[in-house]
Amino acid sequence: ANTLRLYLTCIRNTLEAAMCLQNFPCQEVERHNKPEVELKTSPELLLNPVLICRNEAEKCLIETSINSLRISLKVKQTDELENILTKKFLRFLSMRAEAFQVLRRKPVQGYDISFLITNYHCEEMQKQKLIDFIVQFMEDIDKEISELKLSVNTRGRLVATEFLKQFI
Amino acid sequence: MAGHAGFVEADNAEAIITRIEHKSRKIESLLKQYKPVEALKTALEGSPPKTRDERCKSANWIVVHRAIMAIKDVEGMFSSLDPEYYDILMKYLYRGLSTGDRPTCDQCLRIHEKLTERAGLGCILRSLSDTVNTV
Repeated sequence: ANTLRLYLTCIRNTLEAAMCLQNFPCQEVERHNKPEVELKTSPELLLNPVLICRNEAEKCLIETSINSLRISLKVKQTDELENILTKKFLRFLSMRAEAFQVLRRKPVQGYDISFLITNYHCEEMQKQKLIDFIVQFMEDIDKEISELKLSVNTRGRLVATEFLKQFI
Repeated sequence: MAGHAGFVEADNAEAIITRIEHKSRKIESLLKQYKPVEALKTALEGSPPKTRDERCKSANWIVVHRAIMAIKDVEGMFSSLDPEYYDILMKYLYRGLSTGDRPTCDQCLRIHEKLTERAGLGCILRSLSDTVNTV
């Protein structure tokens, strides 16, 4: 529990430092405005990507550029059931990325879920609140997955008991 | 200019690795005398920032890693570490955090929190934006 607190503090501090975004129109194509962190065409617009691992299973990749910031998370999955639950739950969220605004529709390769924050988001919403959202999300995801696992096991047990009663 | 730099690097790589080995011996002896802060200072001092040779960086990282893992008292360390080492320490902390090895990450997270309190967000931003001198 203590390492969780340290891990989240580290991510929060890194995000506070990295979330310095400004508008930057595309250099290659006229009248286009693209999130540079996704394209990675010009190295002068990108900062060093930072990988923060809590342990072998959980990590967080933060990549920044001049007008956008991408945060990719890998959630702890201890067994096969949690694997499936995490995948399905996070896919459910990613498909509704429009509602979240800062969520990316597809996670980056090797991670479970990704956020893309652009300068427009920083202009409309407060930077501190965005960071609070991300950190809160990370805290809640663990709780959600454990709750889901618990309910799956409980329901499985109930169903099995009911079904096997007819054979008594 | 680029050719000249390449020539200098190939020559210096061996020299730098020898220097790093000297440093690691010195650090081992300092750690035996229970002086982890001095060991860390020695490790951070001769950091070769201008090389692009991965072997030099890895060799130096191994040395710094040894010194970081030996630190038990984080608060005490900061009271005796000079501010000029904060930036380079932050870069090595991020390298440690990317390894994924549990004890390393635990130690690096602990030091990271205290270092941010001390040095502020500017330190983090300098380590993010410095694409020339990476560790």
